Amino acid sequence: MHRAWRLTKRRLIASIPVLAIVILGTFLLMELAPGDAVDAYLVSLGGGDSGLAEDLRQSYGLDQSALSRLWLYVSSLARLDLGWSIIFNRPILDVVLERLPNTLWLMGSATALAFTLGSLLGIVAGARPGSALDRVLSIGSLTLYAVPGFWLGLVLILVFSVQLRWLPTSGIETIASGKAGIARALDIARHLVLPVASLGFIYLALFLRMMRAGMGEVWRQDFVLAAKAKGLSRWRIVVHHVARNALLPLVTMLGLQAATMLGGSVVIESVFAIPGFGRLAQEAVAGRDAPLLMAVIIVSAVLVIIVNLLVDIAYAWLDPRVGSSEVASK
Amino acid sequence: MKPLLRRFASSPEGVAGALILLLLAFAAVLAPMILPGDPAAIVGRPLLPPFADASFPLGTDQLGRDVLTRLVYGSQASLTVGFSSAVVAIVVGTLVGTVAGLTGGLVDEGLMRVVDAFQIVPGFLLALAFVSVAGPSLAVIVLAIGLGAWTGPARLARAEVLSIRERDYVAAARVVGMHPAEIAFREVLPNALPPVLSLVSVIVAAAVLIEAALSFLGLGDPNSVTWGGMIAEGRNLLRSAPFLSIIPGLGLVSAVVGVYLFGEGLVEGLSIRGRRL
Amino acid sequence: MSISEISRRRLLGGTVILAGGALLPRFGFAQEVMQGGRLVVAADSEPRNLNPAIVASNGVFYIASKVIEPLAEASFDGPDGLAPRLATSWEGSEDGLSITFRLREGVAWHDGEPFTSADVAFSAMEVWKPLQNIGRSVLANLESVETPDEMTAVFKFSEPTPLQLIRNALPVVSSVLPRHLYEGTDIAANPANNAPVGTGPFVFAEHRPGEYYRLTRNESYWGEGQPKLDEVIFRVLPDRAGAAAALEAGEIQLAAFSQVPLSDLDRISGNSELEVVTKGYEALTYQLIVEINHRNEILNNLKVRQAIAHAIDRSFVVDTVFLGYAAEATGPVPKNAPEFYEPDVALYPFDVEKARSLLDEAGYPENDGGPRFSIRLLPAPFFSETRAMGDYLKQALAAIGIEAELVSNDAPGHLSAVYKDHDFDLSIGAAVFRGDPAISTTNLVQSGIPDGTFFSNQGGYANPGIDEIIAEALVTIDTQKRIELYNEFQKLVTEDLPLINVADWGFTSVASVDVENVGNNPRWVVSNWSDTAISG
Repeated sequence: MHRAWRLTKRRLIASIPVLAIVILGTFLLMELAPGDAVDAYLVSLGGGDSGLAEDLRQSYGLDQSALSRLWLYVSSLARLDLGWSIIFNRPILDVVLERLPNTLWLMGSATALAFTLGSLLGIVAGARPGSALDRVLSIGSLTLYAVPGFWLGLVLILVFSVQLRWLPTSGIETIASGKAGIARALDIARHLVLPVASLGFIYLALFLRMMRAGMGEVWRQDFVLAAKAKGLSRWRIVVHHVARNALLPLVTMLGLQAATMLGGSVVIESVFAIPGFGRLAQEAVAGRDAPLLMAVIIVSAVLVIIVNLLVDIAYAWLDPRVGSSEVASK
Repeated sequence: MKPLLRRFASSPEGVAGALILLLLAFAAVLAPMILPGDPAAIVGRPLLPPFADASFPLGTDQLGRDVLTRLVYGSQASLTVGFSSAVVAIVVGTLVGTVAGLTGGLVDEGLMRVVDAFQIVPGFLLALAFVSVAGPSLAVIVLAIGLGAWTGPARLARAEVLSIRERDYVAAARVVGMHPAEIAFREVLPNALPPVLSLVSVIVAAAVLIEAALSFLGLGDPNSVTWGGMIAEGRNLLRSAPFLSIIPGLGLVSAVVGVYLFGEGLVEGLSIRGRRL
Repeated sequence: MSISEISRRRLLGGTVILAGGALLPRFGFAQEVMQGGRLVVAADSEPRNLNPAIVASNGVFYIASKVIEPLAEASFDGPDGLAPRLATSWEGSEDGLSITFRLREGVAWHDGEPFTSADVAFSAMEVWKPLQNIGRSVLANLESVETPDEMTAVFKFSEPTPLQLIRNALPVVSSVLPRHLYEGTDIAANPANNAPVGTGPFVFAEHRPGEYYRLTRNESYWGEGQPKLDEVIFRVLPDRAGAAAALEAGEIQLAAFSQVPLSDLDRISGNSELEVVTKGYEALTYQLIVEINHRNEILNNLKVRQAIAHAIDRSFVVDTVFLGYAAEATGPVPKNAPEFYEPDVALYPFDVEKARSLLDEAGYPENDGGPRFSIRLLPAPFFSETRAMGDYLKQALAAIGIEAELVSNDAPGHLSAVYKDHDFDLSIGAAVFRGDPAISTTNLVQSGIPDGTFFSNQGGYANPGIDEIIAEALVTIDTQKRIELYNEFQKLVTEDLPLINVADWGFTSVASVDVENVGNNPRWVVSNWSDTAISG
């Protein structure tokens, strides 16, 4: 555990300048946006005179210079204050904390699905490279990857919710059902089945192909040749020697996929009407809520850093050959 | 180059991918000659099903526009978005990676932190924010997608440059007194580029899909027809007129699969399979 | 205001049931209407401010009209086209300088306080007139509201004000707020704007952002035996395809405002559990308009505007963009407002040749192969129909040699481009005819409106003749004379084309057959649903 702690510390320190760049970049991007939050707010009111607009700008600090606003923003971030959301009229931290769990469940389950199913099918495909089964699995998973997520989601809704009526079409839980405890957890799980499947199936191909490619390499290595020479059965070799060694790079992939999954959840949450973090990003864009959008980008960056850290710790733990210093500089 | 070609030809995936891509590129390039119509022109009764009317072999959409024409022109726009995004990503990435690798020190450190920063921000969020700020046009969409995709090439290019830097021919060039920039562009870059190019397929496939997702959120370019935009428009009619989203969907799937298989063949041909980011 | 249905080009066959229990009780007297139950309906957006006294827009009314009531609601058969709500009668004085409202007795706010004339006076003077998007112009001449007793409110005007206008505006303008919660506070920032307190049949219970709004039954509602429902839930479904799926899966019972795409209605009407209802939007007629920036020298030329008007095939728009659920427009007042509609106006039938020769005459000749000139076309993103109209108009303009570049924006981007920055040449917009031209129609062509006022003339158009008529009609109390002025107004507008009216449309609702009394008043979707019930 000592090694994991050292790794964590080093990673956190290294991420400070990176986060600073993210904050500065987002701030600059928002500066370039035409129309500010006051415009978007007046739209929702159906109009307003210029005096009202000026008053609002003043109350949100939009009338100050860019530099002083940046300073204000960074200093409040340092106090873990993400600012005030204009469209929700609430502290951004509250909104984010409310939305984040839904997205974490969605992402976590989808990643687990893509990882387990992807690596399993990858093993099957890689066991006999070039076989018909291998080709079917490869092309099939690639096709899933190439289907836009929103379309896959809609098709799943039509089949499983509208035709078969097995699962709810959308939402995160039954509205005002009064359920609690395990009943509520099961209800949420039922609502998550289709969105998780839509998101997970898309990324299945990446894990499958990586597993398969990794296995191809391991097949050529000495210890597998030795095992073959010993006359061990093919599946025994696959499971005990090849797959185990090919699995490791997939763990690294988990970290790389975190950011992609987070992006994919924007669309999936919109299709399934899940009040999550991804839809928050879209709402922030539509409402010109610059502080909220900045917070969403910064929080997702932090999230990706944390996921990568966890992946590295897991990697170091799975593969004792990797020293912490190597992992940290990778 | 010959062994590369031969090895490429020996990989069935690569050949299949190349064929699919050739076919699509053919359609894209020849689109104006095969089908001179304007893909946005309203030419017939709306929502004609495919194969019902010989003059509209694939039917018409909700405004009465010819689906076949739109499909073919869609390949143009979609492939343009895909490949231009890849070019942006590869050029920016390679430049940054090469500079970082060659100069080292503080510059390297600084550039790589910028790479880190772009890598931890989800590319789709970045594209979403960028397109909504700059307004949806194909050029902006290409730039937005490229912005989220250049970090991979940058890391790979830097790693390549670091390993090439110490090789004999570079040292020799240094001895004859070549300018560092000249060394970079004449000796190092050409050798670092091929592995970086292997990333093209992944970037192209992702770019085509990101464009589709942006269209779904209403951030597509209204002046051009893309497959993603067609699918997004057709999704509301998934049950009344499923062909409207399935036909461009088939185009999209074949492009992504083709690009991927081609990339795989290329990797095999370059025998750089073992390398990873 | 009397109501007639929008003429429909296409008969919808036997599958469409004209709902409206008052007119056609579907189950007769044999079946008891159920008491209780939960109605779940789709909502495609979440208004930030739920106070209809400040934001009189249909998005807000959709949810808030069940909680906060107006003085009177639109009605198919009531006198003056109104059904009394918080007011029981209204009477104007001879000189047009005052209107007296008798208020309903025994009404209580949801927090138990009694409803009195003081609430009406406060709402009118402190909210409708100074803050509300519609009230600011309609009630501009309101000087004071006198309250001789608890159940009487007398509106005093500084200029003669037509009773007809105020009556027509009542459903939209007169949402009454509880004075005891608003007085002495910052009205625009009052927390009750997000958790409204009213006198309506339903009490606001909760809002889970991104999920739903929940309203529960008001046990002490003044309407006898009302409301019928225990609960109304507005479920947030941002994607249109999602609303249709949820309806078919039986998870929601109603989707309004054409949230189910028109092209899906044929298929839906084959579903025996669902019905397509076109009633309930008669007083919410939306007008598809082409807004013109007259600052552009080319478009400032009347011949060019006429050419554009001739280039638009209105019957194609009605048939293809609206799939028949609309009517061709002839001018700024829709046909289904017969009180004001003037058919004898300048018409612009679809005629490409005429359009071309008008452009030649205007001095923009064909440019071998190239376009005569180029413009930027901004379709409003509010409805899929406005976006589709953008695609169509681009083609229609190309046919007469005008090149149009589509510029797409999201809602705030579009509104600030058109109404604030005036950064457009043509825009496809949606205006609402609210029962009287003075409410939200004349401001589309009137000059002198401050920059940044949404859904108003921001194209830099100024016509003293039209301005004069608008001003005169505003203080003309003789109903017949007022109508004549508006007939003249329609003639002038169609002759000079400050904007081009293309089509008038009402929305459609898709509802479960179990929902009773859908669409039984002309503003049904944005009315209080006190008699809506679920059977079976």
